Amino acid sequence: MSRAMIQAAVTMNQLQQKMDLIGNNLANSQTTGYKTKQANFASLLFQQINNMTDPANAEGRLTPDGVRVGSGAKLGSVNIDLSLGAIKETGRTLDVALLEANHLFQVAVTENNVTETRYTRDGSFYLSPLANNQVMLTTKNGDPVLGVNGQIVFEDGFDEITVAENGQISVRRGNNTEVVGQLDVVEAVRPRLLEATGNNNFRLPDLEALGYNQGEIIQDVEASLRSGALENSNVDMAEQLTDLINVQRSYQFNARTISMGDQMMGLVNQLRS
Amino acid sequence: MLRGFYTAASGMLTMQRQQEALANNIANANTPGYKADQASIRAFPEMLMYQMGSENIPTKQSKNLPVQNPIGSMNTGVYVQEYVPNYVQGSLRETGVTTDLALIDGVFPDETGSIFFTVQNENGEARYTRNGNFTVDGQGNLVTTQGYYVLDQAGNPIQTDGMEFTVTPEGQLQIGAQNIQLGIAYAANANELEKEGNGLFNGEAGPVPAGVTYNVQQGYLEQSNVDATQSMTQMMESYRLFEMNQRVLKAYDESLGKAVSEIGRIG
Repeated sequence: MSRAMIQAAVTMNQLQQKMDLIGNNLANSQTTGYKTKQANFASLLFQQINNMTDPANAEGRLTPDGVRVGSGAKLGSVNIDLSLGAIKETGRTLDVALLEANHLFQVAVTENNVTETRYTRDGSFYLSPLANNQVMLTTKNGDPVLGVNGQIVFEDGFDEITVAENGQISVRRGNNTEVVGQLDVVEAVRPRLLEATGNNNFRLPDLEALGYNQGEIIQDVEASLRSGALENSNVDMAEQLTDLINVQRSYQFNARTISMGDQMMGLVNQLRS
Repeated sequence: MLRGFYTAASGMLTMQRQQEALANNIANANTPGYKADQASIRAFPEMLMYQMGSENIPTKQSKNLPVQNPIGSMNTGVYVQEYVPNYVQGSLRETGVTTDLALIDGVFPDETGSIFFTVQNENGEARYTRNGNFTVDGQGNLVTTQGYYVLDQAGNPIQTDGMEFTVTPEGQLQIGAQNIQLGIAYAANANELEKEGNGLFNGEAGPVPAGVTYNVQQGYLEQSNVDATQSMTQMMESYRLFEMNQRVLKAYDESLGKAVSEIGRIG
């Protein structure tokens, strides 16, 4: 009997994982540049049971001999929906949205004294003061944003800063306009190979193990961006909530299967009473 | 021994088996491309019952003649003969993910025909699946979520090179300038296929013959064709049948109990 209960219990566990995924998507529905994560179910192994093997019983059968009993469902691998999120006007000059899918900014992230180039679609940049009255362009986590010539550092005390469509950053001091940096935008040619590291960042996977070189995953590209705007996450709230309801109901259905199995075992127990 | 004892017990076992099929269907109500199993229940082979007796012939030397009067036929039990997958097309759901593909049945010359994607299992053998929830692995091959290679028409894994691709309704993958035809297989009698788990079917299926039409939709998934409401109703029904059989078994047990303790009791 317990087979039906085990099928349901296994599936409930996996449904919970799907709920975790939906929860994470919902939690990030306002995260700049967040890409929806999706996962779907797959059936588990089937067990062949040979019952009633007498050839006379094979009469009128449609399927091969025996019966094949399944063992529930599991959640498959997680896929990322790479489509572009909606562009939201913020009016803030240092908010920069990438207008093409799979384009990424480069950020130098230092973790445990190791500096690594990471990639992000989150273009809400800030200026961080340095010594000597200089400022540096950083992400909201304080990590330096990389330009064509490395970190973008320039003199403070300007009147206006602008980011052009091609990623050129210029500042105006009085009547003088000066180009201080150029954002280095790259395109992920194989975006599914990138690893998410949290804080809205991605990094390259272990390239040697995969047999790729960096140029086959990330390539330089002409920037196409918009200042004063941010890319919203591409989480579709309605879809996520529909999924959530659906998963919750499935959870209930499977719980019902267990209680039914329990009652059936109860009936067996009552045989002698 | 009372024959009905085992009849009732076989009824209980059958309902359990049916419950297992229904539980698995409900568990897979969210599995793309899953085909619901239907338990078909069959009676044990029929037996003809005779009344055995003898008749006295009133002659000089009185003789006894054996006679047999047919009473009627009966079955002594029931069992689940088979689980028949229901190959009816599941509804489509848009996912927007370019590696999700859905097969849409067209016209088939055979009543029990069905079409499948061809994939390669861990032993390098071809298997068939309706679950088009594919992804691209680290090497750039198109794979199922379990990592099985999705095969092209020639039986080779499909190398996407990690690039985005489009799929035509005829099942042609267009990657850059390259065109690869997906290995779509047709089984004339899909009932002959065995479910192996992980959404795979094993059995006889071949290239799509003339007269078979189908569609491949990119960015969609074929949903499971399990009807949760119907499954739950059937589950309740089979639960009650289980209960009834249990009651019958108990009734037999009580009769036997009476036979043991009350027959021949003095006082």
